[in-house]
Amino acid sequence: MKKLKDYLPWVCYFVFFLGILIVDPGTHYIHLVARVIIFSLYAVAFNLLYGTTGLVSFGHALFYGIGAYITGMLVKATGPEFFLLFIVLGAAGAALVSVFIGLLTLRLTGIYFTMLTLAFAQLAWGLTFKLYHFTGGDDGIQAIAKPAMLAGSVTKYYLFCFIVVTICMYILWRIRRSPFGSVLNCIRQNPQRITFLGLNVYKNQLKAFVISAFFTGVAGGLYAGLDGSIHPDMLHWPTSGNAILMATIGGMGTFFGPVVGAGILTGLETIVGKYTEYWSFSIGVVVLIVVLLFPRGVLGIKRLAGNKN
Amino acid sequence: MSVILEIKNIDKHFGGIHVANHVSISVKKGEMSAIIGPNGAGKTTFFNLITGFIPSDDGTVIYEDQDITSEKPEKIVKLGMVRAFQVSSLFLEETVFDNVYLAALSNFRKNAKIFADRMAFKDAREHAGFILDKIGLSHCKDLKASELSHGDTKILDIAIALTLNPKILLLDEPTAGMAPDERIKMMHLLKELHEYFQLTTIFIEHDMDIVFGIAEIIRVLVQGQLIAEGPPDYIRQHETVIEAYLGKEVL
Ligand SMILES: Nc1ncnc2c1ncn2[C@@H]1O[C@H](COP(=O)(O)OP(=O)(O)O)[C@@H](O)[C@H]1O
Ligand SMILES: [Mg+2]
Repeated sequence: MKKLKDYLPWVCYFVFFLGILIVDPGTHYIHLVARVIIFSLYAVAFNLLYGTTGLVSFGHALFYGIGAYITGMLVKATGPEFFLLFIVLGAAGAALVSVFIGLLTLRLTGIYFTMLTLAFAQLAWGLTFKLYHFTGGDDGIQAIAKPAMLAGSVTKYYLFCFIVVTICMYILWRIRRSPFGSVLNCIRQNPQRITFLGLNVYKNQLKAFVISAFFTGVAGGLYAGLDGSIHPDMLHWPTSGNAILMATIGGMGTFFGPVVGAGILTGLETIVGKYTEYWSFSIGVVVLIVVLLFPRGVLGIKRLAGNKN
Repeated sequence: MSVILEIKNIDKHFGGIHVANHVSISVKKGEMSAIIGPNGAGKTTFFNLITGFIPSDDGTVIYEDQDITSEKPEKIVKLGMVRAFQVSSLFLEETVFDNVYLAALSNFRKNAKIFADRMAFKDAREHAGFILDKIGLSHCKDLKASELSHGDTKILDIAIALTLNPKILLLDEPTAGMAPDERIKMMHLLKELHEYFQLTTIFIEHDMDIVFGIAEIIRVLVQGQLIAEGPPDYIRQHETVIEAYLGKEVL
């Protein structure tokens, strides 16, 4: 019974993301759901830090952007044949940078950690304009080709994203359920006690930070292929903020909550964005509703109800 | 009996307060000892100093012939000096079992496993179950730590410490906030655990019935200074101790 409950979200995940292919609502919507998939990975990877370890990074745009830019630049430099490899390299680049940033920021706690991660990300955002020759500055990088296998139809790239993201999600899911995942979850609750279990809080946080950055980088790399174009905005602070929003709206206390959050955020952007450029206002309203009515996020409701029984 | 813990001249200031004034203590293996003294005397700080949680200004801590003065607290825990807290330090969202189980994972060095299911470790599971049995919390192992009574949170805190297989167990006011009957139970529990696990136990305590009931050695800390040290009978009659702390009622 317990086992079944554990896997139910996975069933929903497959039914939704594969079902959309059967329903086949047209390329516009497939493209939209592909974005949801990519943002899902971004949000879930982010939530390993945020919801699980209790570290509020406001600089994840940096890792998302590094993944995207490395992938994009490598494709531009060599061609699209090794697209998947470039995504992995982009993620590795994000992870490498995160080691240094983690070492520097994790010594600080609370708001100071948050602000310093923001500062680093903004610094990198500024750099993309200065390093015009590599990054294309303001214009970003355009016409990033995909390998023949993935080119042509949106559905092909959708499936590719789905497979890559699902593998990453499975790894993150396993990590969350591992002893290491428990340690992270307990660091959030009581770091002092973790120390007096004989465990090093800082080292574990750093590991979580790097893992989170790696998978955030994968998401960024996938995004580079979606429209074939990337832009400095990917590194700008609203991108970092989106991670916090997706996890908070969907439910930071659950593994799949951020996936729901990614769906809601993308949905709002698209649907409300059609009528007004002030679509982000609607996000404010949703966040307000969620924070006031479902403090544990949309997927957290179920847990709350379960506790009362 | 051999000496397991040797503290020499440990010294600490907090701003203007001298919280540890050149304290030297030598603890024998297997000893059950108490630290007493008025609030603010520096008892908790003393634990913080010897467990590496806060750095001392001066002095050395020798544990099992090894200088651990500037070791990290987690290293000292791994060496076998483990503590429980004045205010229970738990993982409140986790069940009682999971609180102890996490300690068991640390004890068996399984905490860094990153892909295995966290429940996959039989040795850790059995150890956690055994400790809960021994300490008498098995009946509420599926409750969340936040749902426990105050007394049970103190017991769970000690259970977590015990799970780490300590050689020295440091307890900071194990009966703080407990009703009198709970305190008596705690006293018997401490004595039983001390003997069963062959511990060296140092406990800070305000309840003099418990202190004089089970401590073999009592140390008295007043304003950061160790003013007396010895067996209960000696402390009971110690002029300075009576003046500074005990008052007349214990006599
Ligand atoms: N981290 C700290 N920083 C500054 N002062 C502290 C700190 N910890 C304790 N103190 C002060 O040191 C004194 C001793 O505190 P403590 O060791 O908790 O006493 P006890 O446990 O004997 O009641 C108190 O005056 C307390 O306010
Ligand atoms: Mg104290």
